Amino acid sequence: MNDSARDRSSRQAFLVALGVLAAIAGPAVAQNPAPRAEPETTLRTAWGDPDLQGVWRYEAAIALERPKQFEGRELLTDEEVAKRDKLEKDQAAKRLAGADGVDVGRSSVSESPIRGNEYNSFWQDHGRPRKVFKQTSLIVEPRDGRIPYTPDARKAETRSAARYGIGPFESYLDPDTGERCLTDGVTGMMWQGPNGGHNRIVQSPGYVTILHEEYRDRRIIPVDGRPHRNVRQWFGDAVGRWEGNTLVVDTINFLDRTNYEWANVWTRPSETLHLVERFTRVSPDMLEYRITVEDPVTFQQPWTAVIPISRLTDGTQIYEYACHEGNYAMPNLLNGARVDAGRKER
Amino acid sequence: MRAELKGATIGAAAVAAVAVLWTQVVPTAGQSEPFRATRTADGKPDLNGIWQALNTANYDIQAHAARPALALIPAPARDGVPGTGRATPTDIPALPVRALGAVGGVPGGDGIVDGNEIPYQPWAVAKKKENSDHWLERDPEIKCFMPGVPRATYMPYPFQILQGSNEILIAYEFAGTTRTIHMSEVSDSPSTTWMGWSRGRWEGETLVVEVTDFNDQTWFDRAGNFHSDALRVVERYTAVSPHHLLYEATIEDPKVFTRPWKISMPLYRRYEKDRQLHEYKCVEFVEQLMYGQLGITDPATGQVNK
Repeated sequence: MNDSARDRSSRQAFLVALGVLAAIAGPAVAQNPAPRAEPETTLRTAWGDPDLQGVWRYEAAIALERPKQFEGRELLTDEEVAKRDKLEKDQAAKRLAGADGVDVGRSSVSESPIRGNEYNSFWQDHGRPRKVFKQTSLIVEPRDGRIPYTPDARKAETRSAARYGIGPFESYLDPDTGERCLTDGVTGMMWQGPNGGHNRIVQSPGYVTILHEEYRDRRIIPVDGRPHRNVRQWFGDAVGRWEGNTLVVDTINFLDRTNYEWANVWTRPSETLHLVERFTRVSPDMLEYRITVEDPVTFQQPWTAVIPISRLTDGTQIYEYACHEGNYAMPNLLNGARVDAGRKER
Repeated sequence: MRAELKGATIGAAAVAAVAVLWTQVVPTAGQSEPFRATRTADGKPDLNGIWQALNTANYDIQAHAARPALALIPAPARDGVPGTGRATPTDIPALPVRALGAVGGVPGGDGIVDGNEIPYQPWAVAKKKENSDHWLERDPEIKCFMPGVPRATYMPYPFQILQGSNEILIAYEFAGTTRTIHMSEVSDSPSTTWMGWSRGRWEGETLVVEVTDFNDQTWFDRAGNFHSDALRVVERYTAVSPHHLLYEATIEDPKVFTRPWKISMPLYRRYEKDRQLHEYKCVEFVEQLMYGQLGITDPATGQVNK
């Protein structure tokens, strides 16, 4: 439950961690991301397609948007990477030792708008240290590393952040789509989520299927040359093709769900949302996922993020996600709000 | 994979051919020449495709006559009403489903249970009837809960078999549920589940799936047939023509039944051009039903809830 809570709090954790890092880092000259060497993965399925199968998870410590501290810088120096790597390892060790708050790079209970934030904390992974990369933000385009929201979408994002964990929750339409057990959206599916975006990719001839653990989101992507069809869906209509070793997925025909509350406004679909995703297995254990997001309703210009995703060991499972089936939070939230409103009247 | 059939003409011809074939290939005891499915690149029977049951088992897995609605109430006594003595329907649609008219009727069916008998323990017979009487409040399908196994197979929605290199996915349209069939050794399930924990193996032409670790929340149909968390299902998927699978499942639950029992049915391949599962994110469809009365206001009416 409450995955969006986890997204938000892990976002806060990024910011805390980056704040600490910025103090260590100091100024450096702007650099462009190094061009990636064209990978030559030889892994193939039995029927000859590039093999992307396995359970994948985002395990890096890169903020989606470039923090202010790194304005004008797209990459960290080797020295900064080393320092940050040490910090991540120290924090992971402290987490395992039971520490909380800023010591482990996340917001503490007292900083949370939600009383009893330990509920959300419980769901978060306390294990491995996050992997450090040179990128200062997942967003590589526009070059400032920031989401190019339209003014209206910026307002919606500010409103969403202010409402988070606070409400008002007058009806079931007021919690965000994650709290309603619907989805957190397809845009962030490959790297967002309480477990860092936990996905199993399974291939069969003509299809690539992605199972996202959270909300049991599922995409069955045809890669057989068929055209887009004319049905709008929450997850749009995805068609894939192979370009060398890269799976390219083009998705349009989303349902407009901009009137719903979204934990992160950049994941909301409108009818003009268009995603182009590129999946490249750059080594047996790493997937480079590149997504370009275009939607004039939410963004002033298209933006692109490059996300390094790790393959987990064989035997790692995606488990059943019975969110709606066990959504006790929803009736409790609504009953509580109704009782509160009654009290205020009296 | 899309090569089997390309056009409506071939499709029509195939249907005609199947009509003949089907009578021959439905496995019967002592059948001599079983159908051999085409093979995947790694040599396994190729069951990839979109499949669907075409029966009325989701209404009731046992043989049942057509009836006016899923929820019925006894017609009021006609004492003192003009016309008393004429034939009177014993049951009429319950108020919440009455407006649906013929759309809300239940088609009859022969059932899918071998021998038509479900060997309930005595207490469970009563529980099943109670479930049936409270169908509107209790059927998990109404709330868009995951349907469990084997019910997911014969709901009126297609599902897709996707044969990966190390596991097979069964992706159901209803509620966007997906089962991972583990084809190699896998750890035990850490908890009970709605859709079970599935271990698969090939027995010749047949994909055999042992499904365990269920919770006690799912039903077999809209008639209130149920199980406990001791449920164990062994499913058998066998291609019996290019166009059909034979689906069989053995159901064991020592807490509810006196012996294992079996269901079986054909599953039909979907041949529409560019066939694909659709989204059926029904959580959104049931929120008003489940939560409309709970908040400060009900969005359906704009009224303030008391």
